[in-house]
Amino acid sequence: MNALAIELRKEKRTGVIPVLLVVGVLGAAYAFVNFMLRKDTLLNLPLAPMDVLLTQLYGMIMILNMFGIVVAACMVYNMEFKGNAVKKMYMLPMSVPGMYLCKFLILTVLLLAAVAIQNLALMKIGTTELPQGTFELGTLVRFAAYSFITAMPVLSFMILLSSRFENMWVPLGIGVAGFLSGMALANSKVALLMIHPFVMMLKPAVAMSAQPDSTVILVSLVETILFLGAGLWMAKHLRYE
Amino acid sequence: MDTMITTEQLTKKYKNFTSVNSVSLHIRKGSIYGFLGPNGAGKSTTMKMLLGLTAPTKGSFIIDGKHFPNDRMAVLREIGSFIESPSFYANLTGRENLDIIRRILKLPESSVEDALELVGLTEFGGRLAKNYSLGMKQRLGLAGALLGRPPILILDEPTNGLDPSGIHEIRNLIKSLPELYDCTVLISSHMLSEIELMADDIGILNHGRLLFEGSLDELRQSALQAGFSSDNLEEMFLSLIEKDNAARKQRAQL
Repeated sequence: MNALAIELRKEKRTGVIPVLLVVGVLGAAYAFVNFMLRKDTLLNLPLAPMDVLLTQLYGMIMILNMFGIVVAACMVYNMEFKGNAVKKMYMLPMSVPGMYLCKFLILTVLLLAAVAIQNLALMKIGTTELPQGTFELGTLVRFAAYSFITAMPVLSFMILLSSRFENMWVPLGIGVAGFLSGMALANSKVALLMIHPFVMMLKPAVAMSAQPDSTVILVSLVETILFLGAGLWMAKHLRYE
Repeated sequence: MDTMITTEQLTKKYKNFTSVNSVSLHIRKGSIYGFLGPNGAGKSTTMKMLLGLTAPTKGSFIIDGKHFPNDRMAVLREIGSFIESPSFYANLTGRENLDIIRRILKLPESSVEDALELVGLTEFGGRLAKNYSLGMKQRLGLAGALLGRPPILILDEPTNGLDPSGIHEIRNLIKSLPELYDCTVLISSHMLSEIELMADDIGILNHGRLLFEGSLDELRQSALQAGFSSDNLEEMFLSLIEKDNAARKQRAQL
C-alpha cells in the first residue's frame, strides 16, 4: 500500500493520470455526438439495436483507448528515466518489481475508469435513444468487461516495453507500429495472429456482434499475465548498469 | 580493526574487459575512505557493485556484517549513496523528491528539511528539480544520500559541477560527518587535493587493480621507499599510476 501511495506521488505533473481519464471523456463524447448525428443510419443497419450500440461505436473508442494506453505507458516510465530517478530507486531499500506492479495497477485502474466513463455514456444512449425495450444492461456490462479484458494485453505489453527503453520514442514507435499492424491483421482468421496484443484489442471492434468470444478472452488473459510476468522478472533480474 | 565494508577479491568482467580485478577493500568504521584512480580505473563499478547496481563476476563483500544480495534491503537501508550523477524526478520539486526517498526509508517528515539544510538547498526546495542548475542538482543528489543520516555513505565524485565555494562547503560537510554521527564514508574524486584534505584512508585503483590501500602516512612511507616524491598526494598518486602503467606496458610487450 505504501509503494502504491509513493507511486501515485511520483505521477504528479506527468500527465499519466489525466491522459486516460481524458480518453474516457473523449470516448464518451464521441459516442454521444456520433449517435446523435447518425442515429437513423445506425438504427437502420441490419443488426440488433444492442449490437449497433456496442459494435458500431466501439471502433473509434477503441482507437482512443489504444493511444491512451500507449501514451500513458510511455510516460509512466519516462519519468523514471528522465532524471535518472530509476537509478536511485535501485539503490534504495524497495522492491523494484513492486514498483513495476504498482505502475501496472495504476494504469489498469485508470483504463478501467476510462472504460467505465465510456460505457456510462453508452448506457445513457441505450436507455434514451434505442427503441423501447431493446436496451439490455447485462449485454452492455458483458461487452464493457470484454473490451476491457481485450485491451489489457496492450497495456501489459506497453508497460513491459517502456520499462526496458530509456528513450521514450522507442516504445511509442513500437506502439504506433503495433496499432498499424494490428489494424491490418485484425480481420485475419489465422489463429496465430492472436499472439499480437494489438490484434486482440481490435477483435471486439471488428466483430459484428456484441457477444464476447471466449477464445479471445482466454488468449487476452494469458497474454496479459505473460507480459506482466516477464516485466516483473526483468525488473527483478536485469539490474541497472 | 573494526571494518564497516570489506570486499573479498571483488571482480567485474564485461566480455573481454576486466573492469575490476580482485579488489579487496577494508573500510574502517567511522572513517573517510578516499577512493582514487584515473578515469576508467573501476571506481564507479566497484561502488555500483556495493550498491547492487551491477552484479560481481567473482568475489563477495560484507557491509556492516551483512551479505549482498541476501540482505539487500537491510544493507541498502544503511547506505546513503550518490553515484556518477544526480538522480531525481524531473517533474517533482527538490522537496518532493526527498519526500519520495523519505517515504521509502520510512523516516520522519523533519528529515527532509534536515537534509535540505545540510546541503544548503532549503531556499530552493520548492523549485522543480528540472529547473535546478547543475550544482543544485548535485546538492539535491547529496541531500538524497544524506537523508536520515545513514551510517554509511557511498559518494562517487560528489563535488562534480559545484563552484569552489560549493566544493569547500560540501568538503567540510563530508569531513564533519564521522564526528557528527559516526558515519563511514567511501568517497571517490578526481580532485586529489580534496581527498588529501578529508580522507583518513586511501585506496588507489588502476586498470581495475588495487595498487595501494592504507593511511596517508603509510602511502607517504611507501612512496619514499619506492623513491618517489612524497610531498603531496597528487605526486604520489601519479608516480604510482605511472609505475603501474609502465609495468603493464612491459608485460604486454613480453
